[in-house]
Amino acid sequence: MKKYTYMILAVLLCWTTACKKLDTLPPSIVTDNDIFTNSAGIQAYMARMYSTLPIEDFRYSPQRGLNFFWIISPFSAVSGEALSRDQNGAMQESLTFDDRPTTWSLCYQLIRDANYFAENLPKYASNFTPAQVNAWLGEARFIRGATYFALVKRYGGVPIVDKVLQYPQQSIDELKIPRTSEEKVYDFIAADLDYAYTNLPESNQVGRANKYVAAGFKSRAMLYAGSIAKYNQISLVDGSGNRLCGIPAAKAVTYFKAAYDAAVLLESKYSLYKKSWAAGDKTAQYQNYVNLFFDATSSENVLVRQYHYPESVHGYDAYNVPRQLMGANGYSSEVNPTLNFVEMFDGIPKNADGTIKTTTGGKYDLYTNTVDLFANAEPRLRATVILPGDVFKGISVEIRRGIYTGSSAGGISPLLPAGSTAHYPADHIVQSANASQTPYKLPNGTTMNPAGLSGYFTGDGTCSVSGFSIRKNLVPDKPTSEVLENRSDQTWVEMRYAEVLLNRAEAAYELNSLGQNDKNYIQDAFTDINLIRERAGATLLTGAADLNNINVIRTERKKELGFENKTWWDLRRWRVIDKEQNSTIYRTLMPFYSANDGKYFFDARLDERNSRYTFDVRWYYEQIPQGEIQKSQNLIQNPGF
Amino acid sequence: MIVAAGSSCKKVDNYAAPNVTLKGVVKDASTGENIQTEQGSGTRIKLLEISWSSNPTPYYVSSYQDGTYSNTKLFAGKDVISAEGPFVPLVQVDNTGKTIVDKSQTVDLKEVTTVNFSVEPFLRIAWIGEPVINGDGTITAKFKFTRGTTDPNFQQNITDVSLFVNSNKYVGNNNYDNRYTPKVTYDGTAGNDLVGQTITLTTAGGPLPGKREYFLRVGARISYGLNYYNYTDVKTVAVP
Repeated sequence: MKKYTYMILAVLLCWTTACKKLDTLPPSIVTDNDIFTNSAGIQAYMARMYSTLPIEDFRYSPQRGLNFFWIISPFSAVSGEALSRDQNGAMQESLTFDDRPTTWSLCYQLIRDANYFAENLPKYASNFTPAQVNAWLGEARFIRGATYFALVKRYGGVPIVDKVLQYPQQSIDELKIPRTSEEKVYDFIAADLDYAYTNLPESNQVGRANKYVAAGFKSRAMLYAGSIAKYNQISLVDGSGNRLCGIPAAKAVTYFKAAYDAAVLLESKYSLYKKSWAAGDKTAQYQNYVNLFFDATSSENVLVRQYHYPESVHGYDAYNVPRQLMGANGYSSEVNPTLNFVEMFDGIPKNADGTIKTTTGGKYDLYTNTVDLFANAEPRLRATVILPGDVFKGISVEIRRGIYTGSSAGGISPLLPAGSTAHYPADHIVQSANASQTPYKLPNGTTMNPAGLSGYFTGDGTCSVSGFSIRKNLVPDKPTSEVLENRSDQTWVEMRYAEVLLNRAEAAYELNSLGQNDKNYIQDAFTDINLIRERAGATLLTGAADLNNINVIRTERKKELGFENKTWWDLRRWRVIDKEQNSTIYRTLMPFYSANDGKYFFDARLDERNSRYTFDVRWYYEQIPQGEIQKSQNLIQNPGF
Repeated sequence: MIVAAGSSCKKVDNYAAPNVTLKGVVKDASTGENIQTEQGSGTRIKLLEISWSSNPTPYYVSSYQDGTYSNTKLFAGKDVISAEGPFVPLVQVDNTGKTIVDKSQTVDLKEVTTVNFSVEPFLRIAWIGEPVINGDGTITAKFKFTRGTTDPNFQQNITDVSLFVNSNKYVGNNNYDNRYTPKVTYDGTAGNDLVGQTITLTTAGGPLPGKREYFLRVGARISYGLNYYNYTDVKTVAVP
């Protein structure tokens, strides 16, 4: 019996003493103490926030939302910059795709992260120098400001959450925070970015904000606010008088001035990239413009998001290379610039109305090679768009709609009447349905495929559907074996100095048009635009008097920032996209080979696929996800939803 | 265990299924005619059920394209009902959040309840004669539009007019055959100058394929709010 007693005692003894060591945190859980006591922890926290910063980069499409790998419905095919076989019309950002969180909820998660950081870092301040703490607090405010900007540009006024919400310490009713006015949200963003500007250092790690990044973002946000104040017609006012949609017109000057002043802060801190630029040398200017997106030391990069294979990747090359350079996943040519985009540039033959000139006296002009039409094209155009026949990765990108076999005596008349959306007449034209082509025997005895190696194919859309292919941001020397999904890791340039100059020019022009003359704003805008044009190799404005229309500045912006996922937002804040996309069909340029001439001609036409774009006016203020309203019934839905 | 599980079933939510019908029509206050609209993106009836909450989430019922509406599966209750569409808003709020116009109706929904609205459309559009089939196989229609309200706050520029063509009777800016539908847009005040004048539009895209019926409707809109279209009624044209 005694033996048993000892045994029980021994067991109990072991048991209870062991219990003392159970009261420890599992080592797999990261605590505040791990994060906020050393700079490596802070860096990890920052990395997480930056990786979820809501910017429309290589991993964004309106169909599938932020930070998703599958980008076959490119944003540029929503804005009218491009046509794509998988995106055939206008849209607003999808509320949900599969089970992915909405942009709304992603933004509020990040806002909570930033608030949590700002509230808790000061408790651990003794581990760092005051300068370090201030800089990081500034950085958290930058992230919060940039995130609120992502919200306000979509939804208008949203709930302001400036501290960490506590549940269950706070009641549910307390947490149902109503929307505030659009104006107050922009003011809140301005205050956050001002705080960031004051506290951030002159420079920071690549991919993170310094004080000038905060100023650059402020110039962007304030320009949006000014545009809404000036051009928006929609109003939604809640019962307390908060204007949730719309900003009083009287505030336009304030916001444009804030945009201008913020843009000026970046002067002499950044500059347009001109490393291999040479005056009068179009080839050098072209190469310089291509390089600007790949040079990590570019003086133009204000804020970038870096990628690195294999742990952080995207698929931009795989989805967008011309068809003849397709990789093993079978994707290609999702982004095909419209002729409308190309026609904005200098150096191509044009009619009096600004459209491309392809005929003389009612007969097509003939060219030996397709690229001859663009012999004098602005270098920036060549660097943005692969023109038919131009060289990419050492190969001439062959784009041909078909072979014209009809008589060429006395010239060839247009194949279709102007404005037609019909298919081309089948007689006298040989064409191909897909990439397995039957060569056609030419009069001189040689053979030629009816379509180019990169299209146009009438059956499947896996080709250049517009007559052009995208070049901007495609890696110029990536081997085809690496042109795969989730295999690209080039850097996304979210903000470059060119945008800041364009923000400055637009704000200056608007201030001048609103009667502000405390500075020579129009002269300032003129200088900014000519800096952009000179680097682009475009025709310079001859004087400030050439700035006689806001569209001069807007068009320059569309050209410079094309395919950088900015244009749709711009068209939207100018409140012009519902007029631009009103049952609109975009234009394409179709090169034909005339068998009897042995030369090419071009047919400029409306998209043969008859893809119509109509922007619903409701999309100026996007729908708030219904689930968010169910959670927080004080949220008022935007008009029309 | 089984007894416990079974007995808990007694507390099943046996609230009666919704069976109240709400119907009605949105009419032009001056002419008494239905306000023509498009289904889904045009007129809708807004219900705020105040039986339970003073701050309810709105519930919407889309109207048919002829301006009538009906929903047969609503719960009985007390509702504040108004309509949104191509007409002077029934509820207007000023910049301080004060309601300055409120023509909404507070109604006890039960059994079959009819709620009609009299409104001022932004535009009245009227056919002039019947659409005619031309020798070249196109169709030409004549019409005119006039302002439906004298309130200058709702007389913004007229921006678009269109002769919508479709192969079924649901026709409007939300649903039309873009190969044949002509659209005209006006810059600035150009459209306003055409108020009251006879406008002629002919279908686009060459001859309409024959041996079938086409459904035509004229729509026009002003630049206010969500830029709703006002419409004529639908005309049917049989192309031989």
